[in-house]
Formats: sequence, structure tokens, C-alpha cells
Amino acid sequence: MKPGELLRIRVAFGALAVVPIFLAGWLGWLQVAQAGTLTRRNGKLLPLVASTADRQGRRFEKVPAPRGTVTDRFGFVLAADCAIYEVRARITVPLKCREDVTFFRPWVKRIVDGFSLALVADPDISDRAAVHAKHRKRLTDTMNREWSLANLPTSGKWPKKHTQVVEFLVSSSIDRLMVSDALRAYHMSDAYPTIVLDFLHGFRRVYPERALTHGLIGHCNSFKVERPSGGFDLQTFGMCGLETFAGLEPRKSASRRYLADGRRRSYFVAPVREATNPAVLQSTIDIELQRAAVRELTAMCEAGMRLDPKKKAQWGSLVLIELDTGDVLASASWHRGKPRLEAKSYTPYQNLFEPGSIVKPLVLSYAYEVGALDWDHEYDCNPRHATYRERIRKLGRRNSVTDDHVCEILTPHGILLNSSNIGAAYIGLQLTREQWQDYMAAYGFGRSLGLNLPSESRGGNHPRSFAPDIPLRSFRANSAISFSFGYELTATALQVARAYMRMFKGLGAELRLVRGLEIDGQWHPVPAKQDTGPHYRPAVVEAVRRAMTAVVSNDPHATGRHLHAAILKELKVDLHGLIGGKTGTAASNVRLRDGRKISARNASFVGFLPADNPRWLAVCVLQKDDSAPFYGGSYAAPPAVKLLLQCQSLAERGPLRQESRLSLGGQTQLAPSGVGFRSPGSQGWSAPVGAGVPSDTR
Amino acid sequence: MRWLIAGLFFALAVALTIATAAIRAQNIAERRDIQRVYDDVQDRDKDLIRLGYEGLEAASPERLAQLHREWLQNELLRQQEQVQ
Repeated sequence: MKPGELLRIRVAFGALAVVPIFLAGWLGWLQVAQAGTLTRRNGKLLPLVASTADRQGRRFEKVPAPRGTVTDRFGFVLAADCAIYEVRARITVPLKCREDVTFFRPWVKRIVDGFSLALVADPDISDRAAVHAKHRKRLTDTMNREWSLANLPTSGKWPKKHTQVVEFLVSSSIDRLMVSDALRAYHMSDAYPTIVLDFLHGFRRVYPERALTHGLIGHCNSFKVERPSGGFDLQTFGMCGLETFAGLEPRKSASRRYLADGRRRSYFVAPVREATNPAVLQSTIDIELQRAAVRELTAMCEAGMRLDPKKKAQWGSLVLIELDTGDVLASASWHRGKPRLEAKSYTPYQNLFEPGSIVKPLVLSYAYEVGALDWDHEYDCNPRHATYRERIRKLGRRNSVTDDHVCEILTPHGILLNSSNIGAAYIGLQLTREQWQDYMAAYGFGRSLGLNLPSESRGGNHPRSFAPDIPLRSFRANSAISFSFGYELTATALQVARAYMRMFKGLGAELRLVRGLEIDGQWHPVPAKQDTGPHYRPAVVEAVRRAMTAVVSNDPHATGRHLHAAILKELKVDLHGLIGGKTGTAASNVRLRDGRKISARNASFVGFLPADNPRWLAVCVLQKDDSAPFYGGSYAAPPAVKLLLQCQSLAERGPLRQESRLSLGGQTQLAPSGVGFRSPGSQGWSAPVGAGVPSDTR
Repeated sequence: MRWLIAGLFFALAVALTIATAAIRAQNIAERRDIQRVYDDVQDRDKDLIRLGYEGLEAASPERLAQLHREWLQNELLRQQEQVQ
């Protein structure tokens, strides 16, 4: 190599080497020597180093955890959180508008028009034109307020002190694909590069069978409350039913990491981390039976008394329980008129009534168990005979004790069959005051159901029934006799059901509304409280069961003979030996809120099936606010019996119903089984909104 | 010779730098594509959940009975028009 060539090569490579040295030096100069700090608005210093730049590219997306899901006993979803987006916009005034404000107002109008059309982009949205108009007005108002358009000049340059960036809520609940597509088309698009849309994850509570289950499942609603200083807060109240269970509260929220490029466009780094499935609370309700209960109760109540639709009951209640577990399978509530469901009381646990004759089996079983009653003893129940005079009339009771029809010599079996008040009073008088107190406690009258249901009515005996200053003679003349046939005592339908369950399954038995809770795949069952506490002797239960079986027969003295005949005629089913039960009718004076007293009558029925080995028990109550005759066998019994028959029918095909019909999880695991999906675009409307808007992100 | 090797190493370093930058750029582009797909899946996921509930409500016995009644009324009207 010639010396000249060597020199040229050295110069060339030396020049090349200067480039990286210069770059390294420049980097060092900028990042080290020139590295200063910026004072932020909060007074803190922001070091201008490489890690700061990196950190500004990092983003975290918070993914909140859903509330727990409530299902029926077979997995049918009754309440769940439905994933949605909350869309927020951050809009900066573009340079062109800052240079000349004339362009600004038309630009804002285009955005409002575009957003409001995007929000109704799905042709399947009902009443689309009205919804569109509503969105348009809301967005126009928002834009005017946020940008203070009233104070903005109509021409010239953008005022220096006038805000250039606004942030507002576009929509709080978006779950339609076409809408989210249309909105995303605006996000930093070529046409609108200064619009940034954030799609925040959220949830909306849905109740697929709300009309059927509002009283038990409950609800949790959020309401907008205006702040005095402007703006609004979202307050959640009105939670009731199973929704109040702490196990349904949202669990730890998850997060997802991503990065933003130089134009703040996000790019993928990682999926959602530590996402938790929602807890699943399995209730004891069987939605099929619940549907049947609502149908039967509504049909009876709407038909009116003596099939006159103008004479309807005031309210009605129907409950069905499984005796082996205490599970509440169904409970229906009905009110006269067409009130908003949630605005009225839920009758099965909130409406009290005087149970009347349906407590007689409870009284007799208790008396038999404590030895106050001989089941073979005969009582002269004729009110004109000496026994009545000696035992009842001489006590000086204000109201005489009468029967619907004159009864003669009756055994306890006959007293139940004829539903004799006089016979029941004789037996009631054989119990002491302490035993009556024990009777109330044993059957749970006046005590909570223990289901944590809010605003539950407890009822119970009159507050002065057991007052120490009431003489024993007065107690016997009034309270003891009234208790014997279900007066001076109020209860809810579910309390009556629990009382019967205790007679059959032990005095410690309790109803159950929750079968268990599934958390992270772990099943936590709620134990049934059957077969706990003292049990009645089998002979006691058997005697009462037989008497109640005889009540629903064609025996001319049986109070359920009309029911027997009606079901035989209507459904061709002979109820005798299939269903046991007890009818009840009570007339009482109810004090209204305004102080007035009205005469009310209630018809009630307790039935169980199968009659020889009770498995299900139904209680039906209808109350009306006048004094016209109203019998449990005619009005309360048919819905209860039809529900029991439906229950038996469903149990026979039970194995077919063991699979969940809708499987829902949380976060991205949500995957419902799609049945009967509607095809999008099935109704006429303009072309999908947002289709013409150029997009560089989607 | 050693200058030649040094030059080759330098060229290799420059090539590696350019390749790394290109791969990183491609990487970001791919990640943005994944992000789009991810958002798309999320959107469809939410839509599917909504459709699932709507389908469930549309298939309830009450709704089916209502549809059946509407269909019968329409059918009755159609038959009456045919008779006229």
C-alpha cells in the first residue's frame, strides 16, 4: 500500500469514527450535563432524564372487579354484572382553530354530530331518533359549557387565557360493538387528531328475571345526585334482598400494562393481570317454580272474587319451600292495581296477617307433644251444650267463639278436619301461659327468619298478650283462646312456612335462601339447619299429618272438600292422599296509616306434598279489605295446590335441569351461551355511523 | 489488513444498530396491531354478553307468549282480509 493510500484510509475511517463519538458526546451532554429539572404544578421537580421519558410512555389500565353473580339453584343467572365501557373524551383545540376562531364553532358542531350519531350507530337501538336527539342536546350543552363558547370571540386568534383542552364523559354505558367501533374511529384519527377517547372498563348490573325475583334478589341502583357546587355524584342506595350479601361485593380490581408511543397511541404490552372471577352466590330459588308461583298467584288474584275482576284482593303471597333442606324454592308477591314492583312491599316476608285456622295443626301438635292433649279424647264442640258454657262462656270473653257450622263430638282429628274454633279453644285452654310463650318461640312467631332480608316484618303476638299485669283468667279468656285459632297473632307467609317446617323437621329448623358461595372455584356450602333442635315424637307428627291429609278430601265435613272437587274437575287430579293441607280464614280490623280502621279478611292455605311423606310445603295468603265472605279453600288453596303439583312435575324431570343455562364469569372470561341472537342491522337506518371517518387506530 | 478488519467491525456495528432500530420499530408496529385486536376482542366480548342477556330475555316464556299472541293477531287479520 502506498503511503498516500494509507493516509486517505486513515482520514476516511477517522471521519467515520468521529460520528459515533460525536453522538455519544451529544447524548452525554443532553442527558447528563444539560439534565435539568422542571417544576411541576404541584411544586415537585421533574428530572429531565431518560427514565422520566420512559416513565411517561408507561400506561396502566385499571380493570375493576365485577360484583358477584346470583344464580338460581340450577345456575340460571338472576343478577350479574355486565361488562361495559365508560367513554371519556379529551379534546384539544387544533392549531387551525387557534389561528382563526371562525373555524372553531363549525368544528365543534361536527364533533357533536359525529359523537351523537356514533352513540346510536347500532340499528337495533330502540327509539333511535329520540335517543339520538337526546345525546345531541346533551353533548351540545357539554361542549358549550366546557369550552365557554358564550365567552369565546367569533373571529380572530384564540384568546390566550381561554381553555384549549376539555375533558368530558361521552357515555357511561357502552356495550354495543357498532357503537364502540364508531366511537373508536374518532380516536386520534387523521380527521380529528386532537380527539383522544379513553375506553374505561366498567359494569352494569343486569337482572334477567327482575319482574319475577325483585323481592328476593333485590337490586342495587345508582342515582345521579346533583352537587350544590355543580356537577354530580353517583350514589348507590336501595339495596335489598340477596344483593346486600357481603360476599357479592367487588373484589380486588386488576390492571393491564401498556405503552404509548410518541403520539400517545397505545400499544400492547401485557394482558390483564390477576383478574379475578366474580363470586357466585347460588340461591335456593328455582326460577321455573318461581315463574309458576307468580303465574298462579297472579291468575287467582286478577280473576277477582267470585270471578268478578272488579273485586280483587288487596294483596297476595305464595311461598314454596323444600322441607328436607329448608330451601325457599319460590315466593311470589302480588298487589292490587298496577304499581311499580319495587315500590311495593314484598308480601312473603313484609306483609303481616292474622293466620287464622292454619295455625290449628301447630297448636294441636304442640299440645299433643307437651302432653296437654290426648289424641283420642272427644270434645263436645256444640256451643249450646254445657261443655261450652262451662269452659268458654263462663270465662267472660268479650267475643263469643263460633264455628262456621255446628259441630258435635270431635276428636282432635275431627277438630282439624272440621276446623272447629271451639274445639281448638278447648285445647288451647289446656296450655299454660308459659306453654303459650314457649309455643311462640318454638314456632318462631315474632322472630326473624334469619335470612338477612331487609325490612323484614316479624309480627308475633300482641305486645300485651303476656304482660305480667294481665290476670291469668283474662289471658285464658282472651289470648289463649284467640291464639288457638290464629288470632291476636300476626305472621308473614314465610314465618308460617317455617313454623310448619319446624313441626315436621325439628324446632331448630330454619329456612335457607342461599345454598352456597363459590369463590375462586372453591364451593362454600351453607349448611341446612334441618333436623336440629327438639323433635316432635313421630306419633305427634303422624297424627297431624293424617288429619291434614283428610282435610283435602271429599269428606262432607272437610274444609278442603271444595278444593278437592275443583281440582278434580279442572285438572282431573284426585288430591286425596296426594296433598295434605289446612285452610284458614280470618277477619280482623286493620289500622291504616291515616289512623282509620278497616275490616279486612284473609284467606290462607298451607299444603304439603306428598301427603304420606311431606317433601314440599306451600303457603298461600290473600287479603282483601272488605268484610264479604272469603274462604281459604276457594281462593288461597288453588294457587298453592297447583304450585305443588307443578313442583312434583318438575322434580320428575329434575335431572334434565341440572346444567347451568348461562355461564358467566368476570372480566374477559365472560362468555354467555348465545341463544336467539338478533342479527345486527335488521331494522332500517342510515349507514353505520363512523364508517366514513378515517381511522388510523382501528 | 487490521484497518480492513476494523472497518468491517464498524460496518457491522452500524448494521446492527440499524437492524435493532428496525426490529424495535417493527416490534412496536406489531404490538399496536395486537392492541387493536385486543380492543376488538374486548368490544366483541362486551357485545356478546349483551346479546346473551337480550337473547335470554327474548326467549323467556312471557316474551314468547307475547310474540305468539302478536303472530296470531296478525294471522287473524290476514285471514279476515282474505275473506273480504
